[in-house]
Amino acid sequence: MSDASSRPLQWRPLAPLLLSTGAALLLVAVLTRNPTPLFLALPLLLAPVAAGIVGPRSAPPVRIDLAIEGAAADVQVRGTVVPEPGLDARNFVVELERPASLVGASAPRLDYSSSEVRFRATWTAPEPTITEIPVPEVLWRDPIGIVEREAVSSASPVVVSRYPPELLRIGSVRLERTTPLPGETRSRRVGESGEFHGIRPARPEDPPRQINWRATARAGRPLANEYDLDKTGDLLILLDARPTSLGPTVDERLFSVARAAAVGLSDSFLRVKSRVGVGVFGEFLDVVPLSTGRTQRIRIEMALKQAHLSTVSAPAERCAVSARRHFPPGLTTVVFSSLSDDSSEDLSPYLRRRGFPAIVLSPSPLPLIEAVSRLTGEDEEIARRISRLVRRDRIARAWQEAPTIDWDDFWSLGKFVEFVRRPRVRRA
Amino acid sequence: MSPPEAPAGIRSIRPVSLALLLITATYLGFLSGFPDGFGPVLAAAGVVLATGLRVATRRSVAVYAPVPVLAALVVEAVPAPVGLGTEIVAGLAGLAFLLWLADDPSRPVGGSLRSLPTVGVPALAVGIAWSSTLFLPAGAVPLGVAGALLAFTLAVVALLVGSPTVFDREEA
Repeated sequence: MSDASSRPLQWRPLAPLLLSTGAALLLVAVLTRNPTPLFLALPLLLAPVAAGIVGPRSAPPVRIDLAIEGAAADVQVRGTVVPEPGLDARNFVVELERPASLVGASAPRLDYSSSEVRFRATWTAPEPTITEIPVPEVLWRDPIGIVEREAVSSASPVVVSRYPPELLRIGSVRLERTTPLPGETRSRRVGESGEFHGIRPARPEDPPRQINWRATARAGRPLANEYDLDKTGDLLILLDARPTSLGPTVDERLFSVARAAAVGLSDSFLRVKSRVGVGVFGEFLDVVPLSTGRTQRIRIEMALKQAHLSTVSAPAERCAVSARRHFPPGLTTVVFSSLSDDSSEDLSPYLRRRGFPAIVLSPSPLPLIEAVSRLTGEDEEIARRISRLVRRDRIARAWQEAPTIDWDDFWSLGKFVEFVRRPRVRRA
Repeated sequence: MSPPEAPAGIRSIRPVSLALLLITATYLGFLSGFPDGFGPVLAAAGVVLATGLRVATRRSVAVYAPVPVLAALVVEAVPAPVGLGTEIVAGLAGLAFLLWLADDPSRPVGGSLRSLPTVGVPALAVGIAWSSTLFLPAGAVPLGVAGALLAFTLAVVALLVGSPTVFDREEA
């Protein structure tokens, strides 16, 4: 709960207007010995006093429920603000701030009743994102609009993560290179899992082999087997947070897209009990060590939410050496790098030499650059062709060191998912 | 949950408080003594302009809507001749102005009803002041009542402007 005493009564711009007009009328009444201005001045002078008396005498506590709905690019924020009994909810003003990474009408739609305020904002994520929706600011404001006081609540911000829907299915991929847990003996069984644990309702992302068809037929609803050890392998997700020649704006947007995809990727693999680790390489390598479970999901989400671009470009070898210190070699490694300049291309060779088989997923800067291009007509077409040729050349060079996927449609990761789902192609 | 949807224009104007303001301001203009019906025209123009600013423009401009009404009321009240009717109409115009402020179209409907406790305090003061001039015998008593009211008002306003936290209550 926030400190209520630090939220005093605040004058709104209407208050000085009323008070100064009232004072002027009072002066005129005295000078002209005419009581009529005095009678007009009385309401103007007393209204601010009355507004202060009638309102809550300390910061009013409110309960704020905040929820995120929608899928893919659609972000719907819903919530309610419930003041304590005795206070009319219609006297509360709710201000919800739209994060910069989302677009749409900034003002939420508000539905008032005497007991609660319901708000709803419909925004769109133009590209994959992981962003924090702040708790709305709630103010008690007197009906005339003379004074206001900030309300207190114990609500916390919510994180919205939007990533390509294909990532929901990628967790069923069996990672080839796995590292045994301490004390674990590798099972020779071929299949999804270890010991049978029980039956649970099936989820959309469950592979057909995990569905218990007999139980499903008996129950009349889809049921799936659950196993004690449903580990498919270990995964390291590495984000290249070094600055490139594209400039901070484009770098920031590409990094934001990579962070969102990394959240989706880790989420999907953690759901099938794989161990996932994350590294963000700017000037140094910041890591979330390998682990699994819900706590690890929150840990990774928090780390990626707070990750930011570095202002200094560090040598790629530092990343590989540091990764070797924190993670065992042989981990399947997904590297997010824009491959926009020569320095960003050298990450995967160093990782490979240190024993990390890397797959590079490269968010393409071309859609972002083309969107802000000032060229028109034929010039634009030529520029687009040249930039695509340069990009293709970079991808081809990166392929020589590691499998590289050019990610140019930010809402689709079909190419990447297909690649990791087909081991033969991967080996090729 | 939401109030029933009415046509946006009508719902935004909030006709009751607007009519109250228009009537009192126009009547004050009529009593103010301006020649050729200038007073009522000025009052009506101020109210119409303010309403237009409120409902037809952006929010950044709408915050200035009270200014034309207030200016019109001041211009009418200053040259108004002394008289019991003029005084109470001026007071009522001030109260109607507060009710009109409470019916802000950008806030939930029913603002004027919710503002009655706030408007009640100045209404009481206007009532005391007017009844003192009406019922008490001429001389020192009404002057004393009016002077006490004014002194109280000014003291409380000065106190509030200096420190708005005087109304804060310590948490238990």
